[in-house]
Amino acid sequence: MLRRMVLSAAAAAAPCLRNAALLGPGALQATRIFHTGQPSLAPVPPLPEYGGKVRLGLIPEEFFQFLYPKTGVTGPYVLGTGLILYSLSKEIYVITAETFSAISTIGLLIYVVKKYGASIGEFADKLSEQKIAQLEEVKQASIQQIQDAIDTEKSQQALVQKRHYLFDVQRNNIAMALELTYRERLHRVYREVKNRLDYHISVQNMMRRKEQEHMINWVEKHVVQSISAQQEKETIAKCIADLKLLAKKAQSQPVL
Amino acid sequence: MNENLFASFAAPSMMGLPIVVLIVMFPSILFPTPSRLINNRLISIQQWLIQLTSKQMLAIHNQKGRTWALMLMSLILFIGSTNLLGLLPHSFTPTTQLSMNLGMAIPLWAGTVITGFRYKTKASLAHFLPQGTPLPLIPMLVIIETISLFIQPMALAVRLTANITAGHLLIHLIGGATLALINISATTAFITFIILILLTILEFAVALIQAYVFTLLVSLYLHDNT
Repeated sequence: MLRRMVLSAAAAAAPCLRNAALLGPGALQATRIFHTGQPSLAPVPPLPEYGGKVRLGLIPEEFFQFLYPKTGVTGPYVLGTGLILYSLSKEIYVITAETFSAISTIGLLIYVVKKYGASIGEFADKLSEQKIAQLEEVKQASIQQIQDAIDTEKSQQALVQKRHYLFDVQRNNIAMALELTYRERLHRVYREVKNRLDYHISVQNMMRRKEQEHMINWVEKHVVQSISAQQEKETIAKCIADLKLLAKKAQSQPVL
Repeated sequence: MNENLFASFAAPSMMGLPIVVLIVMFPSILFPTPSRLINNRLISIQQWLIQLTSKQMLAIHNQKGRTWALMLMSLILFIGSTNLLGLLPHSFTPTTQLSMNLGMAIPLWAGTVITGFRYKTKASLAHFLPQGTPLPLIPMLVIIETISLFIQPMALAVRLTANITAGHLLIHLIGGATLALINISATTAFITFIILILLTILEFAVALIQAYVFTLLVSLYLHDNT
């Protein structure tokens, strides 16, 4: 019954719901329209990093600004003092044993906060900073890794550009080797041919020499055979006479 | 004044409605949940403290005992925060009520004992007889060990109640003494006030220590039984 009342009230207020209201409570479950407007929660606005300014640790600064035009600088303090004195004198706040325990507890707390508050705050900031530094380090390491990979890739690409030098050198080497082999074979051919020709020449020379020697021997033999014994005696006597003559001539001429 | 002495320990009710439930649930809103990666200072410190405490407390337990981690951490946070909040003036400390402490101690202790009996029955029963007892002493020793086992939850609850209640009472009494002495002799009142300050420091320590002791003992009972 309550749902029907709400439906009719809503139908009166928003025309888009009128169709839903006419369908009745049973069917409403299926046709309820959700999220008609902007989603109210996202994106979450960022929280302020520091709290608002407060005086005496309790009263926001806006209160002092609020009273400033009417009562000046001392206004809120006078108000506070007056309220405290009023509550004490009218025994709205009764001084009991609890008052002293309150004074000691609150006094202790204020002392501790004043003395160690800043350092604890710094400690908390350091904790957050450590967390952020850790994540930042991971990020930087990842960036560095990728940068190194990029540099390696670039150098590899540059090397690829210069690959043709390598091929040129190899081509030159092979050409030189081919030339060398060709010349070597040419030279060998020349030497072989020269060998054969030298052989023929030496054979010819030898033949001629042999013929010459043979002829000389034959001539000498016949000449020696032709010299008779008497001719030999005559020749020898003549040689001796010539030699005697020469000796005389030599003796007669002075030695020069 | 005699009536006033124990009035602060009465179950608080506002216009006839018991609001003790609200008071018991109040400390939980003082521990915000970390919602972002980098939080504000309060949450960062809270995270760091809980990490420190849980690491130290769960170091001695095996895999089975560590399933109690959430329970133990909630326990120490609850007892610590209620004790510390009770030191503020005009506040009610739930842990001064024996009913509540018994309600915390008995189920936790029973949980550890039943876990022990379920998973390591022989070892749990063996706890009743220390090693190396001479034969004639065995029956008496078993009875003594049984009594010692059943007194554990009582001891847990009564220890916490008595410590916190005694502390609050002392603060109340010495505060009253200071109040009464102001008219008689200001110097003595000042000395008494100094005593009160020292006592408050002690009470802060006791609040935290009692929480720690409670949780530590539960964890020890757990360690015996897992």
